[in-house]
Amino acid sequence: MKVFDIALKDLLRALRNTFFLAFGLVFPLLMAGIFHFAFGGLGDDGGVPQVRIQFASLDETGPEYGHFSAGEMLFQLLDSEELADLLQVTPSLDIESARAAVDNQEADVAVIVPAGFTAAVFDPDGRASIELYQDPTLMLGPAIVGDIVSSFVDTFAGSKITAGLAYDLIAEQGAAATEETLQDVSSRYAHWAIELKKEAGANSLIEFRSPSGDDKPAGGAVSMVALVMAGMMVFYVFFTGAASAQSILQEEEDGTLSRLFTTPTPQSTILGGKFISIFVLLVFQVVVLLAVSSLFFEIAWGDPLPVALATLGLVVVAASFGIFITSLLKDTRQTGIVYGGVMTVAGMIGMSSVFTGGASGPMDTVSLIVPQGWGVLAWRLLLEGGGLSDVLFPVAVTLALGVGFFVIGVLKFKKRFA
Amino acid sequence: MNDKAIQAQDLHKNFGDIRAVQGVSFDVCAGEIFSLLGPNGAGKSTIISMLSCLLEPVQGDARVMGHSIKSEQMAVKAAIGVVPQEIALYEDLSARENLNFWGKMYGLRGAALKQRVDEVIEVIGLTERQKGRVSKFSGGMKRRLNIGIALLHRPRVLILDEPTVGIDPQTRRNILDSIKELNQRGMAVLYTTHYMEEAQELSDHIAIMDHGKIIASGTHDELVELVGELDRIDLVINTESERVMAQWQAAKGVHQITAENGKITLLVDDSNVVLPRLFESASREGARITSVEIQEPNLEAVFLHLTGRALRD
Repeated sequence: MKVFDIALKDLLRALRNTFFLAFGLVFPLLMAGIFHFAFGGLGDDGGVPQVRIQFASLDETGPEYGHFSAGEMLFQLLDSEELADLLQVTPSLDIESARAAVDNQEADVAVIVPAGFTAAVFDPDGRASIELYQDPTLMLGPAIVGDIVSSFVDTFAGSKITAGLAYDLIAEQGAAATEETLQDVSSRYAHWAIELKKEAGANSLIEFRSPSGDDKPAGGAVSMVALVMAGMMVFYVFFTGAASAQSILQEEEDGTLSRLFTTPTPQSTILGGKFISIFVLLVFQVVVLLAVSSLFFEIAWGDPLPVALATLGLVVVAASFGIFITSLLKDTRQTGIVYGGVMTVAGMIGMSSVFTGGASGPMDTVSLIVPQGWGVLAWRLLLEGGGLSDVLFPVAVTLALGVGFFVIGVLKFKKRFA
Repeated sequence: MNDKAIQAQDLHKNFGDIRAVQGVSFDVCAGEIFSLLGPNGAGKSTIISMLSCLLEPVQGDARVMGHSIKSEQMAVKAAIGVVPQEIALYEDLSARENLNFWGKMYGLRGAALKQRVDEVIEVIGLTERQKGRVSKFSGGMKRRLNIGIALLHRPRVLILDEPTVGIDPQTRRNILDSIKELNQRGMAVLYTTHYMEEAQELSDHIAIMDHGKIIASGTHDELVELVGELDRIDLVINTESERVMAQWQAAKGVHQITAENGKITLLVDDSNVVLPRLFESASREGARITSVEIQEPNLEAVFLHLTGRALRD
């Protein structure tokens, strides 16, 4: 079959092309690799590294507070099972040794609870500050701990307001509101609020999950490395699609396309062979990127069937978009503008949702104005633990877009060579 | 069986307002080398493109081995081997990979393909370098491979569009010898060139083209007869003088005079008689002849005679 002979020839040429090897395979892996090492290196789940905490508490309690200790409560929160993947908490005997651990880089941050912290919680006018002593070279870990501690302190601020309100209401009812009642309301509110937050997962920063897994519900946060890899894959697959379609223009300029037209080979066979090679090359590229990223970055892309569907959608839309965009060009001199401009800008818009870390936002919507955005969406859903039903819609959109681009591109090429 | 390999009848082709080919008709007999000779832009390549089914004539038709270029394109393409003017090869493939691929495009498969590729590699002298990437080849090697591809399917008609443009004399010699050899094996050859010497050496029949038309056609001797026994003298003088030119134009035995790029060309009855008169006239006007070149009647002179212009690159 001549159509496969042509496709095979184009594939052979592409695989001998350093441009394809660099832009198609090396660059996307390199970019993801940079993020991988920046966010924790090899050996863990590719997410944020564990934050080492030295916890020193000078807090006191007593019977007047029902033996409730706010400092102890903070320790239990930081040392809880839910945060075990993220935080490694070590109790410290005193403030100095906690700080020394940070100075010696044995800990990333020291959480120091002052004396009278519990008393300040129960006293409507009481004040006490938790000190965070951190390694100045670190950004992310201390920021996470700070966020958790702030959230904890906010809870007690709420409890004070609640207790005050309860006290006023009881007084209005004519009942006697004692100091013990007030403390009891405050303490129970704090416990309730913290438990509620845990259940609702209201604090997004303390609920880190693996890219996928049976116990990971859809919609959770995913590893930045996995998201970047998905974005880079989509970006460069579109790039490869356009660069491969460029071979039609290149052959036209080299005279080999005209020569092919002088052989007893139908024009549809010649163009068909070239289109097949583009599709096959992109499938090869995606499979290699998925396999290598899975192996080296430990990215779990999801179940085979939805992954296959997402691959199909991405390959079809990227190849077709390449054929379409190339059909608009007069010659290879114009490809620099298109690749450097249109493809790059469209790719960046499509990838914009990657940099929001998978959280919903306006960039998600903006990214969908370009076909790359739909490709990224399908892969992001997979990384968030989505299944077949989740990726069906974005895959259907990519396939529909792909068919549209392909038809227009083919018609333009047929007209060009008629 | 028709003994005409190519029959072109009243071919016309326009590109916008440009009438590239205007009513061209000619026949190429089986086993004949037929040359289209003319300057760049004469319409030679457009005719080749039409005969190769790359362009469709707006008027007229041609038959290649009895098949119409309009209605039987696949049969025409199967009968011809085309050597384009520019080298059309995949430089990132080896010579053998190129031949294998193009052989498949001509419908060869399996053992037949392998055998034919082996034969062609030997014919074009690339046995030692058959596995080398074409990008590493010299210009001459690429030219030979460019021709070899057109021979893979043993075409009945070989069409070569200025295959010697921009190559060294040794490679040109090899190519011309190869074409003669192929022709001796019975292949009809349609050859386009703007080199008068090539057309003269190779051709059984020559059609001289200018501005999209065939202005003369015949064997070399028949064409030369068009200018009679006129000699051609090319002169250079040390000063531009209209008076000298006027005197030479009026001189006895001078039939035609043209000046182009500092060189003056005259068609004369007998150069031995006319030349002293030219020196004398120049001397009278204070001019000095610095260069003289005399040529017997040839195709260059025919073109000059027919168009009033020299056959230039």
